[in-house]
Amino acid sequence: MVEIQGLTKRFGGTTAVDDLSFRVEPGRVTGFLGPNGAGKSTTLRMILGLDTPTAGRTLIGGRPYRSLDKPLRVVGALLEAGAVHPARRARDHLAWLAASNALPADRVGDVLERTGLSSVAGKRVGAFSLGMRQRLGIAAALLGDPRILLFDEPVNGLDPQGVRWIRTLMRSMAAEDRAVLVSSHLISEMALTADHVIVIGRGRLLADTGMREFIDGAGPGASLEEAYMRLTAQAVDYRADAATIRTETGRPGR
Amino acid sequence: MTAFAIPLAVLRSEWIKLRTARSTYIALVAAFVLGLGVGLLDVFSVTGHWATMSAADRAGFDPVGDPLSGFQFGELALGALGVLAVSTEYATGMIRSTLIATPRRAVVYSAKALILGLFALLASELCAFAAFFLGQLVLRRRHLNVSVAAPHVLRAVTFAGLYMAVVAMVGFGLGALIRHTGGAMAAMFALVFLAYPAARAFDGSSYLPDHLTLVNAASALATLAPPTGPHAERIPSFGFACFDLALYLVVFLGLGAARALRDA
Repeated sequence: MVEIQGLTKRFGGTTAVDDLSFRVEPGRVTGFLGPNGAGKSTTLRMILGLDTPTAGRTLIGGRPYRSLDKPLRVVGALLEAGAVHPARRARDHLAWLAASNALPADRVGDVLERTGLSSVAGKRVGAFSLGMRQRLGIAAALLGDPRILLFDEPVNGLDPQGVRWIRTLMRSMAAEDRAVLVSSHLISEMALTADHVIVIGRGRLLADTGMREFIDGAGPGASLEEAYMRLTAQAVDYRADAATIRTETGRPGR
Repeated sequence: MTAFAIPLAVLRSEWIKLRTARSTYIALVAAFVLGLGVGLLDVFSVTGHWATMSAADRAGFDPVGDPLSGFQFGELALGALGVLAVSTEYATGMIRSTLIATPRRAVVYSAKALILGLFALLASELCAFAAFFLGQLVLRRRHLNVSVAAPHVLRAVTFAGLYMAVVAMVGFGLGALIRHTGGAMAAMFALVFLAYPAARAFDGSSYLPDHLTLVNAASALATLAPPTGPHAERIPSFGFACFDLALYLVVFLGLGAARALRDA
């Protein structure tokens, strides 16, 4: 389980995350939603010990991430697909990760197979498509067979097959009683994947509720998108003028 | 104070990183080609022209220093290896994967430094002894060769290798400090090459800056006899040159550590 307690992060004068508290429970997929700049990535970085909170803390099974001895066995994380050296072969990338946490060497072959990368394991990552890199990132997250999975925008750049594959993977991970936290901009995709939603805006918690309750709360017949838009209307950084949007979408033949 | 230990797993991980990066092999080949090649050109030139060389030139000939003269170029390849061992992690964002797997920054930095240091030392000593023995093979034709058992010979060759390894670690420290491959490379080149003319500007008032430059330290370490002639005062004593190596190691590994221990 992941616990976020009064988490705050300031960069100079701007507050990226503002007194945020929530929990990520096992056995379900928790969607982590919010507009650009809401603080989702910063929160994930603090959970993983990459950034130091200004105040508050994050706990993994009751312990701070940085105190974990072999963290890959506890938490698997997919950050942006760029966190690899492009000149290194896919198998070698997974090999150094596995070695760092004293994972058995055959885990590398296992996760390559699970993510469908076995045939390209000897290729340099720089030659990978975005979708293949995303799969490699997921392979890295699965390496230690962790009980907690954190995915930051996992479906970015994926084709429909890839999107469905990730959705199925996350669902099956939750079914195995693992805790899954996934951030995304793709609301409709989230409606298909998540059981629970956490919505933040301008670093603050806006909602922490079950998917069904969240949608129903927006009124009869509402969609997740409508519920989300209503909640975050006051929290977006940049918003096109409503009139402009109407003109654009109203133009025929586009 | 808590006990500090680098887990074997992290050392193994850093070793896999080093040996699976293409740049490691490119830097090694460059170090050997330059380190051996330039030294060989030097000794071939000496043996070819020995008959017509002046007495002063003959007196200045160093049967150890000349075969090792390629090290002034080979060291840049080793320095580049040091820079790349750390800067590419920041440039590619891979450092996030590293820190997620090993959240304790001091452990990551120490493991990286230790693996690179051992690797660079081994490569440098191999290169130094290869340059020495190849050079002696050529010099033998004119009976100018020396035995590795002759006084100071082993010391000079060993310290030539040690010197190259220190340059690799200076590159590593700069890479960790600057985090940008191009910037760290430029700083490393400047430190090795531009420090020499800069220090000369102080010749009128003090030779201390000269004695602190890496190039002059190398001249004191990797030669048989103390240099003579008008430039001799710029060269530090053997002891001072050893102090230089230790100083560069401490300063640049320390600067790199100060930055590496902060958020990436």
